[in-house]
Amino acid sequence: MEEMVMATLDLITASPHSSSSSSSSPTTDNNNNHPSSSSSSSSSLCLSSISTRRTDLSTDLRLGLSLSPSHYSTPSREQRSSFDWPPVKSTLRCTLVEKSQISLFVKVYMEGIPIGRKLNLLAHHNYHALVKALANMFRTTILCPDSHQLPLISGNNVHVLTYEDQEGDWMMVGDVPWEMFLTSVKKLKITRADRC
Amino acid sequence: MECCNKRRMMKESPESNFMNRRGSSCFPDEVLERVIGMLKSRKDRSSVSLVCKEWYNAERWSRRNVFIGNCYSVSPEILTRRFPNIRSVTLKGKPRFSDFNLVPANWGADIHFWLVVFAEKYPFLEELRLKRMTVTDESLKFLARSFPNFKAISLQNCDGFSTDGLAAIAADCKNLTELDIQENVIDDKNDNWLTCFPESFTSLEVLNFSILHNDVNFDALEKLVTRCKSLKTLKLNKSITLEQLQRLLFRAPQLCELGTGSFSQELTTQQYTELEGAFSNCKNLNTLSGLWVVTPQYLPVLYPACANLTFLNFSYAPLDSDDIAKLLVHCANIRRLWVVDTIEDKGLEAVGTHCPLLEELRVFPADPFAEGDARGVTDSGFIAVSQGCRNLHYVLYFCRHMTNAAVATVVQNCPDFTHFRLCIMNPGQPDYRTSEPMDEAFGAVVKTCSKLQRLAISGLLTDLTFEYIGKYAKNLETLSVAFAGSSDWGMQCVLEGCPKLRKLEIRDCPFGNAALLSGLEKYESMRSLWMSDCKVTMNGCRLLAKEMPRLNVEVIKEDGSDDSQAERVYVYRSVAGPRRDAPPFVLTL
Repeated sequence: MEEMVMATLDLITASPHSSSSSSSSPTTDNNNNHPSSSSSSSSSLCLSSISTRRTDLSTDLRLGLSLSPSHYSTPSREQRSSFDWPPVKSTLRCTLVEKSQISLFVKVYMEGIPIGRKLNLLAHHNYHALVKALANMFRTTILCPDSHQLPLISGNNVHVLTYEDQEGDWMMVGDVPWEMFLTSVKKLKITRADRC
Repeated sequence: MECCNKRRMMKESPESNFMNRRGSSCFPDEVLERVIGMLKSRKDRSSVSLVCKEWYNAERWSRRNVFIGNCYSVSPEILTRRFPNIRSVTLKGKPRFSDFNLVPANWGADIHFWLVVFAEKYPFLEELRLKRMTVTDESLKFLARSFPNFKAISLQNCDGFSTDGLAAIAADCKNLTELDIQENVIDDKNDNWLTCFPESFTSLEVLNFSILHNDVNFDALEKLVTRCKSLKTLKLNKSITLEQLQRLLFRAPQLCELGTGSFSQELTTQQYTELEGAFSNCKNLNTLSGLWVVTPQYLPVLYPACANLTFLNFSYAPLDSDDIAKLLVHCANIRRLWVVDTIEDKGLEAVGTHCPLLEELRVFPADPFAEGDARGVTDSGFIAVSQGCRNLHYVLYFCRHMTNAAVATVVQNCPDFTHFRLCIMNPGQPDYRTSEPMDEAFGAVVKTCSKLQRLAISGLLTDLTFEYIGKYAKNLETLSVAFAGSSDWGMQCVLEGCPKLRKLEIRDCPFGNAALLSGLEKYESMRSLWMSDCKVTMNGCRLLAKEMPRLNVEVIKEDGSDDSQAERVYVYRSVAGPRRDAPPFVLTL
């Protein structure tokens, strides 16, 4: 699991098309102005999905590129025949590859509640989706990592999301790109906002 | 019947001004038009139009729907000149292999110029159905403004537009009954397009936005669903939660086709019960799809609605064999089933056991690129379905390997196949038990299934497969070939042997100029030929173009490739002449 996630990280840093705002939702991807930019951002999502088991990184890059119809330069013959097969439509391929069986379940605790939950991080594509899922799961308000509302906190049912990384340190969720977060997260904790 | 009546009327009728010299028609034009106007079938209309000039005219004036399988085969001017009264247009654009990225972006098939002509000639246009066309927001806005009676728009596999275009349709098409956006490449800019339907708008019957990525304005959606009492089809996107689904179902229990949103929210017991109740209230549901992100524990809420289901589309829901088996127990009436291969052979056995009325099965691969120990479905699952489902006539089956014997058994159990599409995902894969080519498998298919219209072949195949196809597949209309064949002879067999062939699409096969040119007389009776990464050269294409001036022979040329090779060739008949809008990388020879 770890090494596949690390391989994903290599893919992200190696790909010229990797979105620098990889934690943002598709509509904010402004890497290109083509009307189908949402599909190219979904291709970067597929790229980051670690369910492709190919070890050949350059092939995986081309895979990601092939899923983006806005990619103007036509791929060479050799590239094309290696990834436009089998004949599964891009939309279907993208969705299924995202949802194949590989999962990354982590423990989630909420402060004050001794029994924790488990959540599959790979079922979500960005911080926004993760926070939404957790807020639903624990029925509380969790501040989004990119919001700057901390100074306004006063109540005791507003929380923030923190995580324990590989080195055992507790960090605020949201500072690093989503894919990088996936490689370093061990556990999640929902702590009261006025404690941070 | 026509002959006798004509002769009788010729003797009896004093109105000799209705008879021309050849006496070929003695009905007044209005009567003829009325009679011919009742013909619905395209083939019948086509035949009728060939009888004589009067019938041709009656047919063209009475035609309301037109279907154009290749948008470049005819021009909008020619179309509108022949058919002055069209209300519904269906247009298909790019070659099918564009679904698999074999056609570069900006290739063409832009709807805009068609719309400009239609705005002038068909101001009463009501329906537009497009597949694999480029549609811009500007075009959608133009459409919304130009056709006051516009009712239905269906866009499948199209690209070039965004939710802004949808907003224009919502705002300006006062009589809209259908907004169907399927599998398109769409820029999902905002959630506001749903709010653009005016408060007074209530005519919607079909709404499909399942392909959008982002959240939609749920409040606007709920209000829309509430006031559109005739809504029959509702296909949601993954942003819609189970709780929201329940609220929508409560508002629209009359739905016939439902595409759910995400199926995996955390539900309380009460919410679960409410959802189950909502489904059991939907007495008319015959189609179910969606189920993005499934939590299998919630599938039982569907059970009350399963008994009447005829079409179950789970192609986005990777379920396992137990989940699907438990569900299918309730689905005895299923005719069409689309699933992911995570259900494995055991899941297919459940299909064979519980769904005896099944007519169509599509099994998609969850992980097309997996290597090594990858799961999925195999030959035994295929046989299991064929044993239980004797009415099966359409199959699309993705697997990693197959045997000749299994396919032979399948078609013996189900000899009525009209569509047989087998995709063995590893190119050039032989029979995994005997290590022989898969020729005998497809030989069995074409020998046994005399009604076969569409065939897709795969695996290790020699020219023998094509000999079989040419010899036996007399009803074949569409053939898809990849990584197959040994020599030009293969393609020649098909071109010379299949009288009804209309569409031939070939990739990565050793067919060269001799094969291409052997079809000289054939191509004008076909819609199109696609050949990519074969052995065809530019000279061969030029020769074809020279010999057959009524064909458009187009080569897609990419940078840096060998100038003499024709790597992607698209040949089609056309009355419109060469394309006027071809981009620089498309060479018309």
